[in-house]
Amino acid sequence: MSAPVTASLRPGAPQAAEPAIRVRGLHKTFVIQHRQAGTLKRAVLNAFRRYPREVREVLRGIDLEIRQGETVALIGRNGSGKSTLLSLIARVYRPTAGAIEVHGPVAPLLELGAGFHPDLTGVENLELYGAILGMSRRQIAERLESIVSFAFDTPDLAEKIDIPLRNYSDGMKMRLGFSIAIHTDPDILIVDEVLAVGDEAFQNKCYRKIGELQHQGKTILFVSHDMHVVRQVATRVVWLHNGLIRMDDGVEEVVRAYVEAADRADFGQAPEPPTPAL
Amino acid sequence: MLNDLRELWKHRELLGILVRRDLKVRYKNSRLGFLWSIAPPLMQVACITFALKHATSFAADFPNYSAYVLVAMIPWTYFQTAILDSSQSLLLMYGVIKKVALPREIIPLSNAISNFIHFLLSWAVFFVYWWLFVRGPILPSTPLFLYLILVQFMLVTGLSLLVACLNVFYEDVKYIVSILMGLGLFVLPIIYVVEQPYYSATSFLKGWRFDLFMLNPLTSLITGYRKALLEPPPASVLGGNPLPLDYGNLAATGLLSLAVLAASYWYFNLRKWQFVERP
Repeated sequence: MSAPVTASLRPGAPQAAEPAIRVRGLHKTFVIQHRQAGTLKRAVLNAFRRYPREVREVLRGIDLEIRQGETVALIGRNGSGKSTLLSLIARVYRPTAGAIEVHGPVAPLLELGAGFHPDLTGVENLELYGAILGMSRRQIAERLESIVSFAFDTPDLAEKIDIPLRNYSDGMKMRLGFSIAIHTDPDILIVDEVLAVGDEAFQNKCYRKIGELQHQGKTILFVSHDMHVVRQVATRVVWLHNGLIRMDDGVEEVVRAYVEAADRADFGQAPEPPTPAL
Repeated sequence: MLNDLRELWKHRELLGILVRRDLKVRYKNSRLGFLWSIAPPLMQVACITFALKHATSFAADFPNYSAYVLVAMIPWTYFQTAILDSSQSLLLMYGVIKKVALPREIIPLSNAISNFIHFLLSWAVFFVYWWLFVRGPILPSTPLFLYLILVQFMLVTGLSLLVACLNVFYEDVKYIVSILMGLGLFVLPIIYVVEQPYYSATSFLKGWRFDLFMLNPLTSLITGYRKALLEPPPASVLGGNPLPLDYGNLAATGLLSLAVLAASYWYFNLRKWQFVERP
């Protein structure tokens, strides 16, 4: 396939690789009801009343192509649309306009251990969360041992897999969540600031695992505010600002520009996207 | 809607795991988990029997009164708990639907199905009671029981989807639903049988009003369960001859339940993308 040379294609990314994620003309608008009806009672009593609404354009036309094997960091200040973009790619939101193509299975690590139940044991939660992330029962059974040993490296921790989750520390829950997500064997990993989990030893293990996945040619898209991590892991950085891509380039260039802008507190002209009241 | 169904079918294993999780959590906290969870309706039946048969004279001459109450209380409890559980289900799993792409109807559906399984198990209690205290003949209308269970499953599942969806947008839905549920004990023929208002000289429910009363799908179902599983009480209790099974009414209830399920599923899918629409 002859790859079209687009603005987003940078040296460092393998030119021949197929696109893993392709985003075109993506807009996402949220309608915020400032005083919503909220209760059925109020909705019935004020059936004909119009509540003031605010339309917030969080993404205002994103074009982005990520090729297989790339590790792309999304950076930008709070409210710039990073998490919204990840949620759209993970198909939790639907785009207002534009198209998103995703090729291959995705592991959305937007929140670790979503759906864990405190009354169930570690194994039972593992089966549940694995199924939520799309693993079949057979796959879960096959990978069970590997998941447990990755999450809990010492035997005394591994024993806890059979006790209810309410007795776990937060760190242990995160370890289990990360281990399950990573074992779904995804082609594409979408990570939203969840890597800051566990103690240092476990974090190192996570980064080693991510390095392994990079070697296997997996595609990784992650959000981080930690420029140290971005420099260490990413092969390309996309800077999102007010719902638009401000810069999309090699790691050093973007990080340096971003840090300088942050130091000058110069995030450009418009403070917030326009918010017309309807 | 076909696409939604296909997507749901792809996730059937997850549905199974969620159902199993519900049942595990429900029965887990004690070794006698199932018996513990069946205790509240049994206590209600015992108290109703005491109040209406032994403390007052309403059901004094009603033989095996408890059996007639129990046969109504089991479907009524299923209806209540399934819908009330479902009203909370999406909010309890909000963290999941906000972060993972899955067919969202799977969450209230798993709730409705686990409650249905509990409902099926609950009938064992009725049959034990029947064996010990009633032991009447097996009626020719007994196979109707399976039809009634199926119809009630459609009705309850449909309403569960609807209530779960509305409760995401309006936070008072669960209170309104629980208040309506409190009325059921009187509006539905649980502590009485339909012949009593039908024959009573002072009854408000005469003519078209009685027909309207019988159109309530739960009234129709409860009456159906009773007539399928128990011999009619004597005419002295009813005030006249027992009413025959109304097959037309039961067919209408079946169609209505199917329509409720289809409409609720359609409405749920229409709105499910708005559940997490917040920046």
